[in-house]
Amino acid sequence: MSDAAVHALDHHEPVTSTGIPNKKVLMWAFLGSDCMFFGTLISTHLIYRKISATVGGNTLDVRDIFDIELTSFSTFILLASSLFMALAVSAIHKGNLKSTRWMLLGTIVFGSIFLACQVYEFTHFVHGKENKNGDLEHQLTLSAYAGKTLEDGKDAELKPHVFGSTFYVLTGTHGTHVAIGVFWLLGWFVYSFTGRMSTAHAIDIECCGLYWHFVDIVWIIIFPVVYLMEYAF
Amino acid sequence: MTSHTHRSKIPQLVFSLQTLALFLLGSCSRIDHKQSALDPKGLVAQNQYDIFMLSVWITIFLFCAVGGCLLFVLWKYRAKSKEEAMEIPEQMHGSSKIETTLIIASAVILVILAVPTLQGVVLMNRVPDPNDQATLEKLKLDKSQIEDAITVNVTGKRFFWVFEYPQYGIVTANELVFPASKAVRVNLRTEDVIHSFWLPKLAGKMDLMPGQENFLWFIADEQKIRSGIDKDGNPYEVDAKTAMPSVFDGKMRQTIFAKQAFTDEFEAVGGLFYGQCAEYCGNSHAYMSFRALAQTDEDFEKWVLKFRNAQNPNLQPTAYSAENTYEEGTVVTYTDEQLGENNRREFRALKATAKGQTPVTKPDVWEKVHSDDYEKGKILFGTQGCAQCHAINKTGIGAKGPNLTLFGLRTSLAAGWMRNDEDSLDKWLRNSNEIKFGNLMWNGEGIDDRHPLRQLQDDDEKVSQLVTYLLGLK
Amino acid sequence: MAIESIKYASPETESKLETKAFPRPGQHASGIVDWLTTIDHKKIGLMYGLAALFFLIVGGIEALLIRSQLWSHNMEVLTNRQYNQMFTMHGTTMVFLVIMPLSAAFFNFFMPLQIGARDVAFPRMNTLSLWCFIAGGIILNLSWFFTGGSPAIGWFGYAPLTDPRFTEVIGDMGPDFWIFSLQILGIASLLASFNFITTIINMRAPGMTMMRLPVFTWMTLVVSFLLILALPAIAIALAELMFDRSYGTNFFDFLEGGKPHLWQHLFWIFGHPEVYILILPAMGIVSEVIPVFSRKPLFGYGLVVFSGALIGFMGFAVWSHHMFTTGMGVVATSAFSILTMLIAIPTGVKIFNWIGTMWGGRIRFDTPMLFALGFITMFMIGGFTGIMHSSVPIDAQHQDTYFVVAHFHYVLIGGALFGLFCGFYFWLPKITGRMMNEKLGKFVFTLMFLGFNLTFFPMHYLGMIGQPRRTHSYNEGHGFEAWNQIATVGSFILGIGVFIGVVQFIHSFYSKKLKPAGKNPWDARSLEWTLSSPVKDYNFARTPIIKARDQAWENNHGEKDNHSEKQPLDDHGVHMPDRSWCPLVTAFGLFVMAIGLLFHQSIDASGELARDYTIAIAGGVIFVVGVIMWAIEGPRGYHLFPKENEE
Repeated sequence: MSDAAVHALDHHEPVTSTGIPNKKVLMWAFLGSDCMFFGTLISTHLIYRKISATVGGNTLDVRDIFDIELTSFSTFILLASSLFMALAVSAIHKGNLKSTRWMLLGTIVFGSIFLACQVYEFTHFVHGKENKNGDLEHQLTLSAYAGKTLEDGKDAELKPHVFGSTFYVLTGTHGTHVAIGVFWLLGWFVYSFTGRMSTAHAIDIECCGLYWHFVDIVWIIIFPVVYLMEYAF
Repeated sequence: MTSHTHRSKIPQLVFSLQTLALFLLGSCSRIDHKQSALDPKGLVAQNQYDIFMLSVWITIFLFCAVGGCLLFVLWKYRAKSKEEAMEIPEQMHGSSKIETTLIIASAVILVILAVPTLQGVVLMNRVPDPNDQATLEKLKLDKSQIEDAITVNVTGKRFFWVFEYPQYGIVTANELVFPASKAVRVNLRTEDVIHSFWLPKLAGKMDLMPGQENFLWFIADEQKIRSGIDKDGNPYEVDAKTAMPSVFDGKMRQTIFAKQAFTDEFEAVGGLFYGQCAEYCGNSHAYMSFRALAQTDEDFEKWVLKFRNAQNPNLQPTAYSAENTYEEGTVVTYTDEQLGENNRREFRALKATAKGQTPVTKPDVWEKVHSDDYEKGKILFGTQGCAQCHAINKTGIGAKGPNLTLFGLRTSLAAGWMRNDEDSLDKWLRNSNEIKFGNLMWNGEGIDDRHPLRQLQDDDEKVSQLVTYLLGLK
Repeated sequence: MAIESIKYASPETESKLETKAFPRPGQHASGIVDWLTTIDHKKIGLMYGLAALFFLIVGGIEALLIRSQLWSHNMEVLTNRQYNQMFTMHGTTMVFLVIMPLSAAFFNFFMPLQIGARDVAFPRMNTLSLWCFIAGGIILNLSWFFTGGSPAIGWFGYAPLTDPRFTEVIGDMGPDFWIFSLQILGIASLLASFNFITTIINMRAPGMTMMRLPVFTWMTLVVSFLLILALPAIAIALAELMFDRSYGTNFFDFLEGGKPHLWQHLFWIFGHPEVYILILPAMGIVSEVIPVFSRKPLFGYGLVVFSGALIGFMGFAVWSHHMFTTGMGVVATSAFSILTMLIAIPTGVKIFNWIGTMWGGRIRFDTPMLFALGFITMFMIGGFTGIMHSSVPIDAQHQDTYFVVAHFHYVLIGGALFGLFCGFYFWLPKITGRMMNEKLGKFVFTLMFLGFNLTFFPMHYLGMIGQPRRTHSYNEGHGFEAWNQIATVGSFILGIGVFIGVVQFIHSFYSKKLKPAGKNPWDARSLEWTLSSPVKDYNFARTPIIKARDQAWENNHGEKDNHSEKQPLDDHGVHMPDRSWCPLVTAFGLFVMAIGLLFHQSIDASGELARDYTIAIAGGVIFVVGVIMWAIEGPRGYHLFPKENEE
């Protein structure tokens, strides 16, 4: 590295062997590890997917539970949030703090909408759906599943099932990731009002961005594997 | 493992310790201990043993070669003085030729082990096809040995074993009786945690996984069961009956018990095998052992017949009815005041009886089948809560405790932990917790301090009645 | 948001910064505050090491109790449950609280020195991982005092034994403590690994190319990668188990659709790389020591590094060899059997290369070298029995017997622990600045070597004649007694050896009588030996410019061209970051959170299950406050102005 280059950095960032900032390497290492976290969860879900169709004679048709329109919508929202995130990173690199701030807010809002959808989804799955007669059916809890309402109008019995376990823990872990991301971005959003934010923080926003895109990509895998596949085969 | 050649040549402490230990193990100690995998008595275990010995020789060779090389280097290039220790040798960084050679050599050695390994995997997991003459010849098996294979469903429970023979519809516990000449297919299941069925001299081991059925098979080698090496190191051979005394009439038990100590039992007969749960399964995992008793074909059939009759609900003695006449030898149950109110005793007809000849009114026609103690023990078995968990004279699938049908023929007690004689059974009934700390009979599900079993401790009479009853089951 | 970028403030602005915000312990912090808030990788390494040695004694006592119980048939030193708790705690302690942190201690202390860095990339995060490790250790050992006592599930806690359905003590909390402790230890390892990876990739001194890294640093890198890729599997498995135990999910509950098999797969996908996580650091240490005491460079450096990486990589493809007897079918067992055999090749390569290194050298038999040689021979035996186990039919007899116990103790004591002791004898002079007593060192080696072989060699035979592992008692008539007695005697000799060794290490920190070490007492080869002993706070006064692989050796004996150079002294001195309370607060938050979650369930008056998350939330708040303080306390520090050669 030439002297000029060293001077240009002006000690803001320590000179690294690879030229990549430490934080970025750290983030990549973390994401590599996180891949394994989700890999493990997704494999668990896939392993149980087939056997979870019937457990103890209790047949489960996941399609009766899912609200695929809502989930498709929230998937679209999460993908859109990635656009805001990318714009925020680009803005801070250009030194446009104002734009950065609003793009961060956009990401936060869209992320929150996604979370809201998930909370709505979870609550409804746990409580079941109302049928024409106002009876609850297709309840899915962490440990059990209830099918259709019985003909005499009695609620279907909750029977042990493994689908709820893998479904909630997998999507819940993803939701937790999104929530952490939202709080992280919120931190930067608040920080941007202190007047101390500068292009020196570009690397921090970029790390947020890496994380956010990763969480997004994971959803792109979860959505087909957990949801769409149930409609295909 | 009897070579003595290396010992003197290797001077260094490291080596002499290792090799000495190895040869000590090989030559000075016995390898035919109760549960020894070094003393295989069946085809599958023999195969495992052979591959093991191959690996032992390979690794001894490698250890000597690499270790010898290491010692040579240490000796040759040691710094002999302080000055020498400060010298700077040639700074050599490596040699790809040597490295490549060594890598290839080690790969070749692995192939030597890999080939029998793969063959062994197949042998362990699949009973040979009875129609595959070539394989049978190679394994020195007869077609009939495979075709007439018996099946045993093993269920592991904390902390004992259920052995079910689906072909015969019988269930026993903790002692697996099998014909020495036939292959035995073992289906392994568990109702609680993971266990592992380990029968070292016959089959190696396989886990009992919850929610899935595992499989292993074994076939004993009658020749090996009949021969052995005595204490002076002389080989001997006995006939089949001596090596495998019959179980059904208690000869097995007698022969084993003829040895003074429990510890010597396994020396008595070649057909007695010891097994053990090998996967940690809870507090009393150590106590979860079992036995396998080899039988000649004829004796095995007799044992099966006896067991079948005992567990056949249609063959249980019926209550005496004044409306019926009974043939000679018929066993009925009839209320006997001696045993207390409403308790029935078994009577056998000495000759054909006419209507209304009850055992009480006509004592000369009927004889008591069992002693008073036996009958009292039987009643206690029902009233003291034993029958809640133990099944006798029925298959009792799903019972919490071991099936005790024909218990008097068993050689061992408490899942193979002790000799099944009066003394041990007495101790066991009085305080099983002292023998097997934490056992379910004493501490287990639903049994608390008030359980009648715990109050038996000081009641000599009742204990002895129970003992009489249980050991009388034969 | 951690802002770790070093802003070199001038002394004036620095004092201005000091007055702002909340205080961060500065240059002159001393005593307990210094140790609690330090972010110096050397002090962190030391604390890792000392805590791990403490747990080594704890785990050792557990081992001796186990051995006493097995002295003869039907012994009653321990009850069966106590015995089962002992072997569970012994295994968990030795793996997670001894070998791993001892390796981490050496990673922390020496890796930055070996690559010419002043600290790791994220010093505060480094402190956090230390406190997480301590918190995990405390949580695991707290289990002794609560319902059910310590876990009695074996160190790999096979489902469904961990299921409340099969518990043998009502309300048993042991497995819960085990779960939370391992989770927090996992966090500690993950953070440390991220840090090491970043440091090794990014903070090498100029000229320190990857292929000039000392092998120990290479192994640090490989192990860090193994950890970040392997730990998630067990973290998820533990999370699933926690959900099973506390919230009624059915992951491993076979009666409700779960598969206990899955636990084994997840555990061993972590567990097998874990084996290499335990052994590779020791291999790294030995690869440093043997060249030094042979006065030759490592034979086939590239191949040793490559084989280390390959072992790590293949370590992910052989996990199922722990499950040969679980009924996976012919194809799976055969495939894993062959893959496992293949892993012997890169392992063999290392042994060849160590011998090759000694070939033609001038071998000195100082204590570190003795431990290194002990490592090679013992590890060889462990490796050979490992090859035996890779063969499925052999494994069908060996699995879960004392043969396996012998095997992995040969690898983990004869291998890992001997390697780590080798590291202590080799590097403690650099840490304390004092040489240790050679005679005592050799005595310790003799005791350990003798005791170790006496303990574990007979176990091979015991396993073959039928003693299953994890049995608290055995019956008479099996012929187990004599060999168990030899093993028990050996274990006490080993225990005494280890204890004397530990005392010797601690003693060398205090004793003024010991001979000063000087910069390079062994005439060693890597960069840390160009520094004074003990190493100064700032490590390098001037960043070195590396010219060769064994830089210290080249500086002393090499050609002029290969001598390292140094960057000029900075005018503004060496920037030293301030200490920080935040890591401790954050780790404490995690600890409280874990305790809160452990005790959140209770049975209320009406017999219903009640959940109370107050403590857990309080812990969460402490954690978040810690993180926020961390983010906003910002970079601060002070400057030291070392003279030209003060390093």
